[in-house]
Amino acid sequence: MLTGTASADDFLAHAATMTSFDTEAVELPEADVFQAMFETHIGGRERSLPPGLHPTAVPTFVAQVWRCPDSPWGEFALAQARVGSRSGLRPRGHIQGCVCDNERAVEGLRTRWGFPARLGTVELRRHYDAVEAVAGTDGHTALSLRGVDPEPLDPDDPQYSGSVALAHTPRGLRLVQIEYDVAVTRAERVRPHLDAFDAAALGVHPAVDPYYPVSASIATGTITLHRLRFVSRPDELAFTGTEPV
Amino acid sequence: MKFGIFFEMSTPRPFAGDAEPRVFHHALEQARLADELGFDWVWAVEHHFLEEYSHCSSPEVVLAAVAAQTERIRVGHGAVVCVPQMNHPIRVAERAATLDIISNGRLEFGTARSSTWTELGGFQADPDDTKKTWDEFVRVLPKMWSDEHVSWEGTCFSMPERNVLPKPVQKPHPPLWVTVTSPGTECDAADRGLGCLGVAAASYAEQERRTAEYFRRIEQCDPVGGTVTREVTTLNFLFCHEDASTAAKVGMGMVGGFGLHNSHLLWTREAYPTRAYQSLGNLAPGANRGPSSGGPGDAYGIPEGICVGDPEIIGAAIARWESLGVTGINFLLNAVEMVPQPQVLDSLRLFAKEVMPRFAERA
Repeated sequence: MLTGTASADDFLAHAATMTSFDTEAVELPEADVFQAMFETHIGGRERSLPPGLHPTAVPTFVAQVWRCPDSPWGEFALAQARVGSRSGLRPRGHIQGCVCDNERAVEGLRTRWGFPARLGTVELRRHYDAVEAVAGTDGHTALSLRGVDPEPLDPDDPQYSGSVALAHTPRGLRLVQIEYDVAVTRAERVRPHLDAFDAAALGVHPAVDPYYPVSASIATGTITLHRLRFVSRPDELAFTGTEPV
Repeated sequence: MKFGIFFEMSTPRPFAGDAEPRVFHHALEQARLADELGFDWVWAVEHHFLEEYSHCSSPEVVLAAVAAQTERIRVGHGAVVCVPQMNHPIRVAERAATLDIISNGRLEFGTARSSTWTELGGFQADPDDTKKTWDEFVRVLPKMWSDEHVSWEGTCFSMPERNVLPKPVQKPHPPLWVTVTSPGTECDAADRGLGCLGVAAASYAEQERRTAEYFRRIEQCDPVGGTVTREVTTLNFLFCHEDASTAAKVGMGMVGGFGLHNSHLLWTREAYPTRAYQSLGNLAPGANRGPSSGGPGDAYGIPEGICVGDPEIIGAAIARWESLGVTGINFLLNAVEMVPQPQVLDSLRLFAKEVMPRFAERA
């Protein structure tokens, strides 16, 4: 059985600090969700995750870009760089990099859910023939994605795994389990292209090297960020290291 | 009720050294014993690239060895992946017919389409197409085995008129099955006259619904081949021990280990949004469920329906499956070699001595 071998310290550069786990759920209506999955080289699969998580077989990188026209913090767009993993048996994307274009949203997502969000630029453009997403920090393009040739999907077809993010919490350094769902009203599959990926600029572990396109989808729907229920120790498997909050 | 053993060839790390040969040779020893003990089937999966979970990428070779080392037990492809990037249909027909000859007519032929992105992506197969290619395979294979001259103009492949050789011993051809993972595949099986080779987790209630629907529909089937296979099997684990608490300790470790490795696979449903894959992969019952669900092994933390326990617990679980219309159960005997081989063999012997006769008498 494979488990991560990276030090938790490798993911602390942009880790959030949370003072409480007691947060209300938030609904983000009419959101666009662009998700693209790529395989990463097998040689880096264990090195790119902390010991509390298992890599998937085969290892993956998932970029997920949200454009939310309505939220408690106003309109915002968010780009997440996630490494595919399992927390015990559960599918979880480990958010290693996160850029958001709204300072209030950055603060809310960091303090209430533990997203390692940073202020930057995020653009998501949806056309009839393609979807484009670009995220940047410090004037530098960190992530640039395209999805081409849209094909209609049923609303239930796109799958969105829950997330985990390493954060400083009232219990110490923990992987915060970020549970969300997307009530999709419209979805299309697109072919993914990764035009730019700068692991360092995103804050993603250097062992993560997406190289082989798997799939992508663009969907519209209501994102619900649920109340936090669990955290887990980053250096312990989920079976023994998970704690309810 | 029939009983089979089911090989994934799950292999512990590190793979270097004798880990893989040990797993394969243990499996062959289990098959020889199952043959002596009166089990009905030995099945071997076809999986590719699934480290630890399954190293059984060439089941035709495994089954040929089983056939050569056994006398009576039937050998089953559980199942051949009907995706042309992985298996050309002509080669599938040739290999299967040869295996039927080598085994003296003991072949059961299961068909499948693969559930993981790891496998489909590795062969650059399009997940949208696998249901279509499977359907084409199951229509053309019986013709290749039965007809002297076959031509085919299809979507996934075409061929001019040829005599596909050799022909199987069983006439008109070996029994045909399809693995059932996604809900609804039992209807595909019934409509085509195929046996239902269950490989996915299903509760008693869900299995009862599927089984009833299968037997209702198969009465009106339009068979793809020259025979109809009226069977519904489920996949289970087996660890039988006189002491139920020992059985629970050893057996549930195996169940948990299998479930953990299974959950780490990259399922097509998760990786590739498509209408063609509506469920997340295959899990034997209990592999993703917690303990204590009111079953006969509840006092020992054994989930409902799992064949782990003493003979009484296992017998009760099988009786329940039988009451739902299930005609056979196939057992996983180990996971990444967590159970020492002598205990696996003892478990088989005890099951055959104490449990199998109860169901043989009923039959």
